[in-house]
Amino acid sequence: MNWLIRALSSSIGKKFVMGITGLLLCGFLITHLAGNLLLYVGAEEYNHYAHALHEQKMLLAVAEVGLFVLFLAHVVLAVVTTRENKLARKQNYDVKETKQKAPLFAYFPHDVMWTSGVIVLGFVLLHLADFRLGLRNPGPEGEEPFDKAVRLLHDPITFGGYIAGVLVLGMHLSHGFSSAFQSLGLNHPKYNKFIQCAGTAFAIIIAVGFASFPIWAVMFQ
Amino acid sequence: MSHETINLTLKIWRQPNAETEGRFEEYQLEGVSTHASFLEMLDILNDELIEQGIEPVAFDHDCREGVCGMCGMMINGQPHGPDLETTTCQLHMRRFEHNDKITIEPWRATAFPIVKDLVVDRSAFDRIITAGGYVSVNTGNAPDANAIPIPRPDQQQAMDSAACIGCGACVAACKNASAMLFTSAKVSHLSSLPHGKSERSERVLKMVAQMDDEKFGSCTNTGECEAACPAGIKLEDIARMNREYLRASLCSSGQ
Amino acid sequence: MAIAEPATNILDSKIPSGPIQDKWDKCKFDLKLVNPANKRKFNIIVVGTGLAGGSAAATLGELGYNVKSFCIQDSPRRAHSIAAQGGINAAKNYPNDGDSIWRLFYDTVKGGDFRSREANVYRLAQVSNNIIDQCTAQGVPFAREYGGFLMNRSFGGAQVSRTFYCRGQTGQQLLLGAYQALMRQVSTGKVEIFSRREMLDLIVVDGKARGIVTRNLINGEFETHTADAVVLATGGYGNAWYLSTNGNGSNVTAAWRCHKKGAFFANPCFTQIHPTCIPRSGDYQSKLTLMSESLRNDGRVWVPKRKDDSRPPAEIPDSERDYYLERRYPSFGNLAPRDIASRAAKLECDKGHGVNDTGQAVYLDFRDAIARDGEDVIRAKYGNLFHMYKKITGDDPYHVPMQIYPAVHYTMGGLWVDYHLQTTIPGLYALGEANFSDHGANRLGASALMQGLADGYFVIPYTIGDHLARHSFEKIPEDHDACREALENAKGRVNKIMSIGGSRTPNQFHKELGAILWDYVGMERTKAGLETAIENIRGLRSEFWEDLKIVGKNEELNQVLEKAGRVADYMEFAELIATDALNREESCGGHFRQEHQTSENEALRNDDDYAYVAAWEFNGVGEAATLHKEQLEFENVPLATRSYK
Ligand SMILES: Cc1cc2nc3c(=O)[nH]c(=O)nc-3n(C[C@H](O)[C@H](O)[C@H](O)COP(=O)(O)OP(=O)(O)OC[C@H]3O[C@@H](n4cnc5c(N)ncnc54)[C@H](O)[C@@H]3O)c2cc1C
Ligand code: FES
Repeated sequence: MNWLIRALSSSIGKKFVMGITGLLLCGFLITHLAGNLLLYVGAEEYNHYAHALHEQKMLLAVAEVGLFVLFLAHVVLAVVTTRENKLARKQNYDVKETKQKAPLFAYFPHDVMWTSGVIVLGFVLLHLADFRLGLRNPGPEGEEPFDKAVRLLHDPITFGGYIAGVLVLGMHLSHGFSSAFQSLGLNHPKYNKFIQCAGTAFAIIIAVGFASFPIWAVMFQ
Repeated sequence: MSHETINLTLKIWRQPNAETEGRFEEYQLEGVSTHASFLEMLDILNDELIEQGIEPVAFDHDCREGVCGMCGMMINGQPHGPDLETTTCQLHMRRFEHNDKITIEPWRATAFPIVKDLVVDRSAFDRIITAGGYVSVNTGNAPDANAIPIPRPDQQQAMDSAACIGCGACVAACKNASAMLFTSAKVSHLSSLPHGKSERSERVLKMVAQMDDEKFGSCTNTGECEAACPAGIKLEDIARMNREYLRASLCSSGQ
Repeated sequence: MAIAEPATNILDSKIPSGPIQDKWDKCKFDLKLVNPANKRKFNIIVVGTGLAGGSAAATLGELGYNVKSFCIQDSPRRAHSIAAQGGINAAKNYPNDGDSIWRLFYDTVKGGDFRSREANVYRLAQVSNNIIDQCTAQGVPFAREYGGFLMNRSFGGAQVSRTFYCRGQTGQQLLLGAYQALMRQVSTGKVEIFSRREMLDLIVVDGKARGIVTRNLINGEFETHTADAVVLATGGYGNAWYLSTNGNGSNVTAAWRCHKKGAFFANPCFTQIHPTCIPRSGDYQSKLTLMSESLRNDGRVWVPKRKDDSRPPAEIPDSERDYYLERRYPSFGNLAPRDIASRAAKLECDKGHGVNDTGQAVYLDFRDAIARDGEDVIRAKYGNLFHMYKKITGDDPYHVPMQIYPAVHYTMGGLWVDYHLQTTIPGLYALGEANFSDHGANRLGASALMQGLADGYFVIPYTIGDHLARHSFEKIPEDHDACREALENAKGRVNKIMSIGGSRTPNQFHKELGAILWDYVGMERTKAGLETAIENIRGLRSEFWEDLKIVGKNEELNQVLEKAGRVADYMEFAELIATDALNREESCGGHFRQEHQTSENEALRNDDDYAYVAAWEFNGVGEAATLHKEQLEFENVPLATRSYK
């Protein structure tokens, strides 16, 4: 097992785990988004889906633990590598300019992965507190999932945090998605453009898709 | 070749040795020909400084044609200055304007301690190569050069990667001071050639381990290294090294 | 002229007897061997990590010797060899165009204008093929055809294609191959690298080279390193001329200090002035950039027929252009050897046909090649060179012809060595450009890389063993008198330089020295000019020791001090260059004496009196050196007037 520990603790191994966990979390985002989209189909369908899901106790437990592990690994590795990376340059430059084509916004998404990651983490905690643990706005006993979602999304903090969180998530993904492929060694001139575009498209779909729910809830419900 | 001259303000990092703290100094330089190279501009400055009894600015250089990899400094925050695929020694003053202020700093990275002024110690790169950046073939062992045909695309690809000049601009540019582009260029060069295949697993495992030991940061795929590389080394090499590393870790008996 | 005559001929070139094809085999058989178990008992110092030193240190390590390897740069990979562009020759005859070991041998002897040692050149041609094999196995990515087989290009002075290349970076790739082999030995512990060290003296014990004194360039410490043999591979001295194509760190210091310790210096005046370099543009210039000779495969050299024609080149019709190389040398055309092409360029410029503000440039034009093959083909062949040219000059050679002018490039002279590459100090060997080598009075393109690697990979590993096996070696303690003497010598010189307290920088002195050499010991030399040069050099030397200004200390990285030390040695050495040029009353190869030329301005050799290697013995700075002559015999390539017409 020595080889495994060594491989996983090397800089490349860490990036590999980062990439894999990131991509798996992307997979979760897709299913989550798909489930949420049922909100638009109708209350009944959404409630039906939610109940069916909650009946799968075993599956849910495994999925939750799995997600937690993925998330934890992703976050812990981010902390570890960021700290190492800071140590790799103890004194900063007085002036630092990029040699890449100027970024679209003030920053490249890749320059702010740590910040965007921290914001997304905050959002996820808020989201869990609201929807999973019901810590901030506990609803009445037996509330239907559809009503719960709409009610929670009317909360100004949830509303704002949700929109900001998913937009930053989109930014995180716009680098993270294609970056994961690079870390896994999946880079070839033939496919790079495609991976880049897919990454951007994915980031936009996730950000826009999720951001639409609170807006919909507040405007139409 | 018509001549024009410009005046400059130079803000340069001065540090007497590794132990002493450094600081910036400003110098005025007048009448620099726009046909002079950046290093020639520093030569002119240094001759003036010596005449004033001030220690000249130490900087590394040798070939002055972009291939030895000796020169290298941050010029206004960019490794080797503003031009793409250009080393400091190939940068010419026609790239600057009259009365420009130019900030010049050494490469900054924990793995590249400053020796003096703009000179840094890049021996970490040598140690990465020593760890495995070679083909183990003793003199006299070789078969005829044409005995093993090498498909042209492979040879071209190997040459693209082998063009690395080891200047360290990739490390300097990277926000994590990572040496992945340098290390991957050698891994890519040798693993693309039939002669380098026998040791490919050992090589990548050892080189990456050494790279990590040297306290370089890790790669977060920002692409700054690629943009800063004067020799045109590509991010594909890093991906190739990642593949090689995974392959070696998971599927080979390499130790 | 002051030249001391030796009492007797003491030069023994150790050329083996027998037919030329068998000499190297015979030599290898006659050499005493060190058995494998004993090799680890011997320590060898290799100074220099260029192609010659890098390959030697790696190979000696592989054999089992303990090697210490020194260089002045921060890494062995940065030796000046890295800058070689064009290619490396070998007699593989892969193109099936009539090449052979014999032809490479013949071309090199003829190209060197019959001033090289036949036996050495033949050996060089013999091992050339092994070099290509070895480098390929190391992973040097030589250019290949679509079928995967090796490709060749043509170089000057040959009518076959025998040059192997890696785009425009052949030297870089070969050096990285040697460097990697070297680092592999570092990982096995057989080689220890000492970078940022400058050799300042040789330690000689009982007449044998037993070590060196170095200065650590980072902290100024003087160090003594002892060993059983010393190999010098410290490159050429083209920088004596100040402006040359050499890297800024190239110097004569190590070789010169050995010369002062008794090693003879051979043919110092044989200097190659390369025809295709980017012309000078101003006083600030620190180096001249070579545009590879390979460009002459497709580029055509010309000047306007009309004097002082200031029209842009595109407006000058063909009928008003003088393609003077094609006109004068129809069979070799633009691929005439370097010495010839350089002199022809100078001649045209002197007649007033030069272009550029300075009148010191000729055109190298790709118009016809681009029209014939298309821009893409030309880009694939020379893209990086064109790119480099554009970066330096700001002009785009795809649309305007390049401007080129000759510049000092390579030094055929160097420490005298015998067939074993041993200097006149037993145990001191010289390899690569540092020895007087196999190129006679003119080196053919792509032959220096070949020679450096031949010396390092395939000659020294055999011949050094003979010396080690034949003598007994007692351990030399660091406080041995000889070590102390060398150490004091090195320190004393540095202290002397530090204590002058004058007003001119080393760079200014270097520029002035370079100007003297370029004017009087450049492409064309005359008796009167050389005498003036000697006088001026002496004058400048005494000014140097009175008026030099250094700032900073010895105890830290001090690049001014380093430079001053090298300039100090050039000041002494330059006199020997001029003396040698004055002594050689003939024109041959890169040495052109105005007094000795044909009616067509071609070099006129004097084989009766000067078919010898001039090996100079040091008698003191400013003292007449003693001239030793090694007579050259031409048994296989009959002496003939070189013709490329
Ligand atoms: C621009 C250019 C292009 C060229 N192109 C070609 C070509 O295409 N084909 C070809 O065949 N030849 C070419 N040449 C010539 C060829 O490159 C050189 O002759 C050859 O590389 C010299 O190799 P070397 O090993 O003898 O010395 P170098 O490579 O010069 O190495 C000298 C070594 O000695 C060390 N050193 C020097 N002085 C000291 C000291 N005092 N103490 C310690 N170390 C010291 C240096 O650090 C360095 O490691 C070219 C030369 C130039 C300048
Ligand atoms: S000095 Fe050699 S690359 Fe700049």
